Parts: sequence; C-alpha cells; structure tokens
Amino acid sequence: MQSIQVPRPTTVASPSATPAWSRDLLIFIAFIAPNVVTLCVFSYWPMIRNLWLSFTYWDMIAPEPLWIGLDNWVEVLTSATFWTVLRNTLVFTVGSVGITIMISLALSLLLNQKRVGRNLVRAAMFAPAILPGSAIALVWTFLLAPYYGLISQAATGLGMPMTRWQNDPVWAMPTVILVVIWKTTGYDAVIFLAGLQGIPRELYEAARVDGANAWQRFVNVTVPGLSPVAFFLTVTSILSSFQAFDVIRVMTGGGPVFATTTLIYQVYSEAFVGFNAGRAATYATILFGLMLAITVVQIRMVEKRVTYE
Amino acid sequence: MNLRTRRGALSAAGLFGTGLALAACGGDAASGGAAAPAASSGPVKLVYWGAFAANLGKVQEEVVKQFNDSQKTVTVEHQFQGSYEELANKLTAALQAKQAPDMAVLSDVWWYKFYLNKAIQPMDDLMKAEKVDTKDYVDSLFNEYVQGGKSYALPFARSTPLFYYNKDAYKKAGLPDRAPKTWDEFVKDFAPKLKGAIDPKQFVFANGGYSAWIFQGVIWQFGGAYSDKDFKMTLGEPKGVQAGEFYRDSIKAGWSQSVKNDTDEFKQMNAVNIINSTGSLVGILDAAKGKFEVGTGFLPEGPAGFGCPTGGAGVAILSGLAKEKQAASMQYIAFATSPKVQASWSQQTGYMPVRKTAIDSKEMQDFIKTNPNFKTALDQLPKTKFQDSARVFVPNGDQILAKGLERILVNQEAPSTVFKEVADTLTKEAEPVIKARKALGA
Amino acid sequence: MNSVTFASASRISSKSTDLPRATSQMRASRLAGAIAAYLGLGLALVIVGIPTYWVIIGALKTNREIYTVPSTWWPPNPAWSNFPAAWAAAPFTRMYLNSIAVTFVSTTLKLVNATFCAYAFAYLQIPGRNLIFMFILGALMIPEEVTVLPNYLTVASLGYVNSITGLILPTIGSAFGTFFLRQHFLSLPREVIEAARVDGAGHLQILWHVVLPLSRPVLATLILLTAVARWNDFLWPLVVTSKDTMRTLPVGIFFLFTQEGTTEWGVVLAGTIIVIAPIIALFIVVQRHLVEGIASGAVKG
Repeated sequence: MQSIQVPRPTTVASPSATPAWSRDLLIFIAFIAPNVVTLCVFSYWPMIRNLWLSFTYWDMIAPEPLWIGLDNWVEVLTSATFWTVLRNTLVFTVGSVGITIMISLALSLLLNQKRVGRNLVRAAMFAPAILPGSAIALVWTFLLAPYYGLISQAATGLGMPMTRWQNDPVWAMPTVILVVIWKTTGYDAVIFLAGLQGIPRELYEAARVDGANAWQRFVNVTVPGLSPVAFFLTVTSILSSFQAFDVIRVMTGGGPVFATTTLIYQVYSEAFVGFNAGRAATYATILFGLMLAITVVQIRMVEKRVTYE
Repeated sequence: MNLRTRRGALSAAGLFGTGLALAACGGDAASGGAAAPAASSGPVKLVYWGAFAANLGKVQEEVVKQFNDSQKTVTVEHQFQGSYEELANKLTAALQAKQAPDMAVLSDVWWYKFYLNKAIQPMDDLMKAEKVDTKDYVDSLFNEYVQGGKSYALPFARSTPLFYYNKDAYKKAGLPDRAPKTWDEFVKDFAPKLKGAIDPKQFVFANGGYSAWIFQGVIWQFGGAYSDKDFKMTLGEPKGVQAGEFYRDSIKAGWSQSVKNDTDEFKQMNAVNIINSTGSLVGILDAAKGKFEVGTGFLPEGPAGFGCPTGGAGVAILSGLAKEKQAASMQYIAFATSPKVQASWSQQTGYMPVRKTAIDSKEMQDFIKTNPNFKTALDQLPKTKFQDSARVFVPNGDQILAKGLERILVNQEAPSTVFKEVADTLTKEAEPVIKARKALGA
Repeated sequence: MNSVTFASASRISSKSTDLPRATSQMRASRLAGAIAAYLGLGLALVIVGIPTYWVIIGALKTNREIYTVPSTWWPPNPAWSNFPAAWAAAPFTRMYLNSIAVTFVSTTLKLVNATFCAYAFAYLQIPGRNLIFMFILGALMIPEEVTVLPNYLTVASLGYVNSITGLILPTIGSAFGTFFLRQHFLSLPREVIEAARVDGAGHLQILWHVVLPLSRPVLATLILLTAVARWNDFLWPLVVTSKDTMRTLPVGIFFLFTQEGTTEWGVVLAGTIIVIAPIIALFIVVQRHLVEGIASGAVKG
C-alpha cells in the first residue's frame, strides 16, 4: 500500500446542499470527453454513415450515392451468397473459438503445474498473438505451399495426395481455421492461466480433503473458478473472430469460389473489389447487428451462471 | 522508466515530444491533385501513381528517373500503390477525398470506369501540343482507349497471353520444340506423351491467375464470346458452354490442375505448360536460369480457330488539373511511350513496345534475335482482338467471370448452369454502365 | 479475491488432516503425470517453434533452395544477403521511424484516454455512467473495414493524409483499454481511495498517487497489447498514405509480397523478421508482468 503525500487541508469542507455526484459531474465529463468524442467521430459516425449507405447504390466514383431504399436489403437477404457467407461465418467462428478455448484451457492447466521450462513455453505460445496477421498468413502460406512447404512435405510423406490446401474447396476453411487457432491459443492460455492463479489454493485443498479426485476437483473447483475468465474470453474471442480479416485475405482471398468468405470478407469484397458501397454497407450492418445480438445474448444468459464475488 | 523520478518524467516527456515532432514534420499537406495552385517558379511537380512492383517496379522507377534527369521543367514523383486493383481502389477513395494524383496507371478493366465518371480527361489537344506522333502507336492498342473520337489514355505496359512450355520436359517426352498448334493436338498428342515422361508429382498444365483474361482467348477459340458490343451476354450460348466444358473436362481428364499461382508452379517445374501474360516473361526467365529452358508460343487454336486478347495497362491524366500540369503530364506520358523508352522497357519487362518504330528498330530486332521468346507476343499481336465488353466495361465483370470459372474448375459445376447465372449477374451489373454511356452519348 | 460457490465449500475443515503416506502406486501415477505434462509442453513448444524456426531459416535461403524438396533443415550457405536486400526493397528506415512514431504517440494518447475514462467509470458515481460505458464498449463491434473510408474522408478534409497525425488520429479512442482498466480499478480496495478522499485529495491526485501505482502490471499489459496492435495496424495505414515514405512497416511488407513478378520468398521472410523483431523485443521485456497484469485486468471485477 502506498502512503500518500497530500497536504492536509486546514479546514474540512462543509457538506453542500447539491447531491454528491454533481460536484464530480464536471470532472466526469472532462475525463471521458476526449475518448467519447474520438469514438463518436471515428467509430460511430462511420457506422451511422454505413447504415445510410445501405439504402443507396454507389460505385464510389460517382459524385453522389443514389437512394434506392430497401433494394440492397432485399437483394442481399434473398441471395444464395448471403446464406453461404453466413454459414461460413458461423463455421469459422464456432470452429476457431471453440477449438481454441478447449486447447488453451488444457494448455493452461499444463502451464499451471510447476514444470521445468514452462515459462519458455508460455512465452513462446503467446508470441503468435502479437505478430501481425498478415505476417502469420504469409508464414503459413509458405508452410502450406505445395511441394516445398513443410506441411505439404509432411503430408505427402504420410502418403496423402498432394493437395493445394488453400485452393481446395474442402480444405480451405479448415486451413484458415487452423491458422487462427495457432495464432490465438497461446493468448487464451495465458488468460486462462491468470484465471487459474486467481483460484484460492484452499479450495483445492478442501476438495482433496473431502476425497475429490482430479476430475471432480476440476469440475467443482476449477470450472466455476474460471467462469469469469471463460466468459470474458468467449465474448472477446467471438467478437474478434467475426472481424478476422488479414489471415483470410492473404491466404485464400475468400476462395476458392466462396469457400472461405465470411461476413467481414464479404464486406471488403463488395466494397473494394466489387465497388458496390451500398451492398457492402448492408453486409456490414448485418455483421454489426449479429455481433451486438450475440454479445447481448451472452451477457444476459451466460452471466447469470458466472459466479462472481 | 520510473515516472516518479524527475529524470524519468523528463525522459518520458522527451520521448513524447520527439514523437510529436516527428508527427509535425512528417506531415505533407499537398500531395498533388486538383486543388493545388500552379507554381510559377521552379519545375512543375507531378504525382504519378504506378502499379508495378518488384523487378517491374524497379524498371518503372528507372523510366521516371530518366524523365526527370532529361529535362528541368517537370519533376515526376512516382508512388507505388499496389496491384492494378489496389491502385483503382486507392484512386477511387482519393477522388472522393480530393487527394487524387495527376497521372495513374489504369489496366484494361479499370480505365473505363474512370472514363465513364469523367475522372480522366481526353488527351487529343495535349498530344497535338506535345507533337505526339499518334500514328506511330500500334493501332489496336491506341484505339482501345478511344471513346467518342477522343483518346483517354495511352498504352504503356501492354501484353498478350503466351503459351509457356518447359523445353526440357518436351525433349524428354519426344515432342517437337514448339507450342501445340491446336488444343486437339495438345490433348490428344502432347499431353499423353508428357504424362508418360514426367515425374509423378509434375502435371501437364496449370490453370490459374487472371483466369477470366485467359479464358477470353479460349472462348473465342471455340467460336463463342463473353458478350457482344451491345452488352448482350452471350457466354451462356452453346459455343461458350462448349468452351466451359473443355475447361471442366481438362481437370477431370487429369491433364490440368487448378492452382492459385500458375507462374510459381511453372517456375518450380511442377507445371510443364501454362498460359500467362508476356509481362511475366522476364520473371520466369530469371527463375528458370540454370534450371530449365523456357519456350513460348502462340495460344493453341480451338475448333473455331485462333483467339487471343490483349491486356496490360495504359496511363491516363486525371481530370481537373491546371493547364500547366496537364501539359507537363502529357510531357511525361509522351516520354514513357516514346520509341526509345518503350524499346528498353519492353526488353526489361517482357511487355510489348507500343510504338511501331520501337518494334521495327534495329535495337529491338537484334534483341529479339537473341531472345526469341520476346518475339512471340509481337508476332501474336496482329492476330489479337479487343476484349468483350463483359470483361472490360462491366464493373467488376472480371471478378464475376473469374468466380464463375472457379466454380467450373474447382467445384466441377456444370458450365451451362454456371454461365447462365454469370450472364444474369453480368446483365444486371451492366445496367448502370449502359445508362451512363447513353448519358455520355457514346 | 473471487470466492467460489459450490457445495463442498461449506465443508472446508479447519483442522489439519494427516496426509496419506505416499504409496508406490502414487509415485507411479505422479511420474505418469509428469511424463504426460512434459509431452504436452514439448508438443506445444514444437507446434509453435517449428513454424517460427522454418521462417528464420527460410529468410536465409535463396529462392532456389526454398523450392527444392526435401528441404534442408539448415541452409548450407546462409543467404544473409536477403536481409539487406529486404531493407533496400522499400524505404525501411523511414518506415521504421514512422511505425515507431505512430506506435509511441498513439499508445500514449490511447492509454491516457483509457485511464481517465476508466477512472471516471470506476470512481465517479454519476448516474447513467453505465449506459455511457456500454456506448464505449459498443465501439468494439464496429469493424475496421466500415470505418476506414469515412475516416479517410474526415482525415483528408482536415489535411492530414500522408502524415503521422493522420495515421494516429482515428486510433486514439479506447474501448478495450477502458474496459480492461475499469475492471481492474473496480477491484482495488476501496479503503485506500476513501482514505485519500477523506484527506482531501482531488481526483487527479488520487489517480496519480494511489490508483496508478497500484496498477503497474495492468498498465504494462495494456501498453504491450496496445503498442502491438498499433505496430501491426495494416488497413488504416494502407488507406491514409499514398507515399512509400509515409507508410508503416506492415504495409511495406505487404508490398514486398507481390502478385506480378517473382516472389522472392527469402527476401520477403527476411523482411517479415525485420518487421516483427522489435515486437518480440518488447514482448520479452514485458512478458514477466503478463500473467499478473491479465489477472488484475480480466479476471477480477
């Protein structure tokens, strides 16, 4: 605990008639204003403009967007592309987030044990999370390159036919999911580890005394103890999975055909490849709405089961 | 650092101040464009956006440097913006933000969009003032950019697709040292012989990269077309479907593989044959040095005979420039497309010179004698046709076609279904273009 | 500290209990556990290590070597020339300076924003503050692809295209950092804050003298995560700069990796290493605080 060097006032401030918080109101506004203003200008304003754009047709070169009402919405929601993209998004998110959380949980349990070299492993596993997504995608493209890529060499060594992983309609999505898992597992594991270290030892001791075996200790002590962390991780992982872009862009370009096109990629594709700002805006609004809905649902339903103090 | 000590706080402040200083001096308010007033003293400064990277990029920078060194009145600043597509994106955004450059490289599928929106200006008066010998440009290449009797760009880095083959593999298979004359000959004779002679991991043909451009040639070879000049989409017609079936069967029959980067496959000797731009020639020759001999030839003929598109990019002047900058831009473009520069540009990149004088020059002829592969595109040029409107005039047409081809090659879907859907999408996308053309009176 | 509710918590006995004697069976299972653990750790290290190792030696190979199969695990003649070649392929010196300036200034401003905002939400009992907090959190759901073009127009109208200011401006708002710090601030013992208040300290003083010193690991973690994100930013720097000399490193790397022309894998990988080296360095310095920092930020509260 720090000792504070603060000059003592000679008089005590008398309580005022106005409510306690009104004195703080000015400070409150001063403290949050820069951040709120920045977020309004550079995050929310674009989102509002985006919503408006979804009701227009615009190729971004013409001077003015053309108002077309709900046409974009009807077109998008009735197109086969949209449902493919939506399905891809769900597969991608569930696959990458689900598997990552499971592996990272197991890894964190490992890292929690006092083993030689665990700090090295911990640091090494965290490292991919801080590398630029495009660099990682580049590295994996290199590793997955047919013939001379390490993975391809290993696969053919095991007798598999030579596959162009990123260009294969079956393998493209698993490949992309794999890279994302590789990138984020260490990060999740470190967060789980922090959570594990926050669980009081006495609880484990008590359970041991009560005769609980390892599995029962896991279920009754670890799992509830980790629930706030797991919740935090699930929410943030899902949000970032919905916005995961660089890996897909560098590795597969959304292909082959639409095999790895997720909602965020479709937004990019419609805007920067198709030059159709209105349709891109429609997809972006749907994406935003989906993220909002999922987060709200998570907060409502799951947080009830998260045990806090 | 410990912010609580005076030293710590001071060094933190110092670092922060340095950061701010870098922020202040790193700024650049005017990066060229319409709003800047004409400078009356010193050389005219121009901003030129290019789309050539790596080895091609170095040559592009050389051209700009040579121009700057050759005279004192104009200075061109070259800024690389990525691929043709990325540059088009940047340009679109820049136009909105009034940050556009003075000149830009625009490829076959991008320049028209900017023309329709009046973002690029006609160059005829400027060419006359600069005394540009318009008759000396290769007619087909020059005329591509003419709309309503006016020129909106000049060809700069032009190409045709070539049939590349691995001479060593051909020798091994007992094949003549030339490209196949027809697809029939290739499928019935060349392919089986190659298959028998090459490594199991190698394959006969790699299909990938700019697929809609390559297939433009193929669909013509089968007597079909993407569209007619009135924007009627014709690729779903029987001849077009036949070409699509040929593509699909090539994978099924096993002599072709669908890949992401066909030049890479060829360079690594995985693919024995590819069809790719003549602009890739220098890169391929470099990679193959010491490994294998590279041969090039015309595109094989189909049942309906020969078919080959042109491709590549030209340079345009953005609209709204001050008169001084317009003239200066024309000066640079005239230089970049002059016979001397084009001859050297072509030799270093593989693109075709766009000037008749350059092609006929002794320098070029001598070069071709020692590097016969460079001749192929030139010999093929007179037999090329201007691309169908569906690919070059419809916004995003190239991508729509490419996705359709992917479905046929990778997913093995039926061409009749796929092409019909693609035709429907193209028809819809073409509507705004047809409207805009009417408005322009074109 | 979290207290965990479950059935047998009530059965925590206060008496110490005799531990059973270690039987040989227990020793065997402990050994098995150890073997399994080391296998697991080893596997994790390999899975992360091999790609990293492959990149490093790839950066030392020529294109020819890279394309030969089976690959060599150590290049016979390390092509150190790949590194200067990568450095020369783009104005890397200038881009390094840009990246450093942008990262430093942006991280500082973002942290300032996050700190003040988090303090306000944690300690200033203004009604409706949770609503505003939700508003700030909502910014996490706005994807970058949506914001780049409008922000480009905004920044252009202010005259900051191709400038460090333009690179920094849209990045200084903080949503995640505010969230993270708020969680931590809420977990600090109230008594200390109250004591300072009673002593007549103003909020700025409380922030500087009480709250921040108690938040070192969290701040360290947040600085790492923020700085890394800024260093790796790609889309915005790509959009707001058109000159090579104003670009940042990730964009420079991207342009090394070309579509037309030869892909010089060795050079590209060398360039990638040049770009990520400072991040690794920063990471090594900070990573000791990582677990504690995350524990205080994400776990409690």
